[in-house]
Amino acid sequence: MKYFKTGIPILLVLTGTMIVLSGCDGASGHQGVMETIKAANAPVEMIKATHEIPPEPLVRVSEEYQGGIFYTQARKDKMERFECSSCHTDDGATINDTREAVHGNIKLNHGAVTNPDACDTCHNMSDRNYLATEAVAKIDFDHSYQLCGTCHFRQKKDWVGGAHGKRIQNWAGKRAVLNCASCHSPHSPRFAKRWPATFSPPDDVLADKVEE
Amino acid sequence: MKQKQDRRTFLKGALTCAAASSTLIAAGCNNRKLEGGGEEMSARWNEYFKKNYRLMTPEEKEETVRRLEQLAKLDYDVDVNVETTPPKKNVLYGYAFNISRCEGYMDCVEACVKENNLDRKSKTQYVRIFEMENGQMDITTGNGKYFHEVPKEDHFYMGIQCFHCEQAPCVKACPTKATWKEPDGIVVVDYDWCIGCRYCMAACPYFGRRFNWHDPEVPKEEINENQHYLGNRMRKKGQMEKCTFCIQRTRNGKLPACADACPTGSRVFGNLLDPNSEIRFVLKNKKVFRMKEELGTDPKFWYFID
Amino acid sequence: MLKTFKKELVPFIRDALKWNFSGGLGYQIYLSILFFFMVVGFYAFTIQLREGLAATGMSDIISWGLYISNFTFLVGVAAAAVMLILPAYVFKDKDLHKVVIIGEGVAVGALVMCLLFILADLGGIIKAWHLTPAIGLFNWPSSILAWDVIVLNGYLALNVLVPAYILFCHYHGREPVAKRYRPFVFLSIFWAVAIHMVTAFLYEGLPARPFWNNPLLGPRFLASAFAAGPALITVVLIVIQSKTVFKVDSQIFNKLRIIIVVAGSVNLLMLFSEIFKEFYSPTHHSLSAVYLFFGLKGHNSLVPWIWTSIVLNLGSIVTLGFNPWKNNPKMLMPVCITLFIAIWIEKGMGLIVPGLIPSPLGEIANYTPSWVEIGVTVGILALGIFVVTMLIKPALAIEQRYEEQNS
Repeated sequence: MKYFKTGIPILLVLTGTMIVLSGCDGASGHQGVMETIKAANAPVEMIKATHEIPPEPLVRVSEEYQGGIFYTQARKDKMERFECSSCHTDDGATINDTREAVHGNIKLNHGAVTNPDACDTCHNMSDRNYLATEAVAKIDFDHSYQLCGTCHFRQKKDWVGGAHGKRIQNWAGKRAVLNCASCHSPHSPRFAKRWPATFSPPDDVLADKVEE
Repeated sequence: MKQKQDRRTFLKGALTCAAASSTLIAAGCNNRKLEGGGEEMSARWNEYFKKNYRLMTPEEKEETVRRLEQLAKLDYDVDVNVETTPPKKNVLYGYAFNISRCEGYMDCVEACVKENNLDRKSKTQYVRIFEMENGQMDITTGNGKYFHEVPKEDHFYMGIQCFHCEQAPCVKACPTKATWKEPDGIVVVDYDWCIGCRYCMAACPYFGRRFNWHDPEVPKEEINENQHYLGNRMRKKGQMEKCTFCIQRTRNGKLPACADACPTGSRVFGNLLDPNSEIRFVLKNKKVFRMKEELGTDPKFWYFID
Repeated sequence: MLKTFKKELVPFIRDALKWNFSGGLGYQIYLSILFFFMVVGFYAFTIQLREGLAATGMSDIISWGLYISNFTFLVGVAAAAVMLILPAYVFKDKDLHKVVIIGEGVAVGALVMCLLFILADLGGIIKAWHLTPAIGLFNWPSSILAWDVIVLNGYLALNVLVPAYILFCHYHGREPVAKRYRPFVFLSIFWAVAIHMVTAFLYEGLPARPFWNNPLLGPRFLASAFAAGPALITVVLIVIQSKTVFKVDSQIFNKLRIIIVVAGSVNLLMLFSEIFKEFYSPTHHSLSAVYLFFGLKGHNSLVPWIWTSIVLNLGSIVTLGFNPWKNNPKMLMPVCITLFIAIWIEKGMGLIVPGLIPSPLGEIANYTPSWVEIGVTVGILALGIFVVTMLIKPALAIEQRYEEQNS
């Protein structure tokens, strides 16, 4: 019985140590990630990226985000027929004849069903090299976000802040983001239905069983 | 003189034989061909007896990287570049996933598989996308096996991967300290130190870890040669692996492959310690939630709604 | 001192080996059968080494299977030796004291099997040295698996060294010095509880798996172990009684029977408490239990097993409780085997596999052990039985001789 009586306290001490030791490893004295974030208020020095983003025309966005100036992909170099004024001259007759041939592929699916957009909702009808809104007469194609943002002001706010759209290649270094038209076709901005790029196989099928 | 030479060759041969037999044991009845002579033997031998990555001196890291590159050439016939880029100062990585914007295209999954040299034979995937019915938010009601045109009517999509928990249950579970959280918040695995007990797998509440049940197979021409010791370098059978936020990319300032591939911009990645970063903008301005937050894992992966 | 020890050790080992391999034709056949299964197991294991764990039926979802199930169950069998040691040493029970050595032999065999099952389950078995403290890197005290490595090996050491010391002394006709071994005997009592509690904590400590994350798991492990372990020891004693000259007092069977009935009843009580909790107000966390007892989305491979287990469990406990055959060994043996199998199902596959189903993302997979897995398992079990035989046979011979000398 003597051993038994000393054994119980030993057991209790051992169990106690086990719980304390294995518990304190993670739980006590550790800061949660939300506290860490709250504490990190001071702006950090710009962290450089090892790889520059691929060289391509960027334009400086006319607004600033919370971290200062940023850039977006240029648009004009990707437009097939820019400059528009090379066709859209004052000679209206030739334009009307070739309308179907040149712009016939455009299916306009933008705006409300009952009140769809027309060409002149966005395009500057007097100077075709520019876009236009009711408020702003001339908007450069490279800065089309200014136009989109007039209706989609929420999305634009998110785009400037970083909750909408995405950066080009890098999270570090100077901020360069895609522009609206990089992802959304301006004439039919909704993403199309399509097949996914891949699939997940059933769980219990290992590859050798698939091959059989 | 000549005699001396002979003796030297003999000694060298004897040593090679000794090394060969011991490496055979070390390779665990590995059926890989053993060509390449003594140098390869000693490389494999030293690989077997190397330390845990965290205990290596910079010189030791350099040596093992050299050996790994050499063995990759022998085993897979590719010239890889294995980095050991350390974490950047003042960086804690965080991720946000926009569930109102994801359309279920799975370009992220495909990009991840290619970037991280994932096994093609068993179709290992770090990133999974679940198709969820509107009106549900519990991932277990979702369908992770969909294969039809997306997006489906009345459904939304939820991406899953390792959440790089601050209080990671897997790190706590590992008996050999083969998995740990780096200072920049990435939970990594030292593949060569992992003994393959799979306790971490049982401990993970997010199905974030994958096991190499057999030697992974990647077509030679598809092997990504830009590798990191803790990231996408070639794995072997019996080792645990997981999403590392593409450590080989992110530590060089690039976005993870999934975020870079996303065609809808549903994936936001950045530095949680930078108050001006995109991820901080999301946390500040959006309604966010984390999966199974009640388990106290403190993940660094948030879901948000536009 | 060292020299005399050496002089005494050599004949001890020589005689032990001699006793082990001498026996009638039946015994030789028995050994051959065990050896055959060990060879089969080893062959299956080489396949697993070559192909990786893909040779088993496990997958990313069901990442633990037959090996870990057997490991969990056998830890209980090993711990159950305490049910003989405790009354023998603490309550000074004369009858049980005589068979303590058999309990310890069974415990060592069970522990050897436990460790082999863990090794067989490792993906990188050649890297197992990473688990050695000092040489490798030990995640202690944070990882419960690290604790388990310590307690299992410690218990193995205790259960090898103490009986070895006693037998060694008895072999040379000496009375063992109580002061030298009794502290370790008492340590082993607490250690037995520790191995099973720590093994339970292995599962209990995972919030990721609600089926396991249950404070009742540890006590239930102990209760089921204290039923299954003594049931096995009863079977071993009946075999010894019928096949050897060693006399086993019939009182012992009655005492073991009472231990089994009490522990088995407590186990059933706790099982029903768990079933109540899962099914009275089912939550998402009850899906594992639904899978186990009724099947989930057409996956029901465990359903017949668990109901068989419950019926056998209830039946054998009731039979042992009412004891209609008055401890007749011929009837006791099948009932004990039935109970042993029932608990093996419930606490092996019936505990491990449902814990992993559904996956944390709600996905369900099927698990059927592959032939390789079954081969390795049978091989390890054969090896365990072989170890138990090799330990008990010389032990009985030595004890028999010592008793004759002293009477």
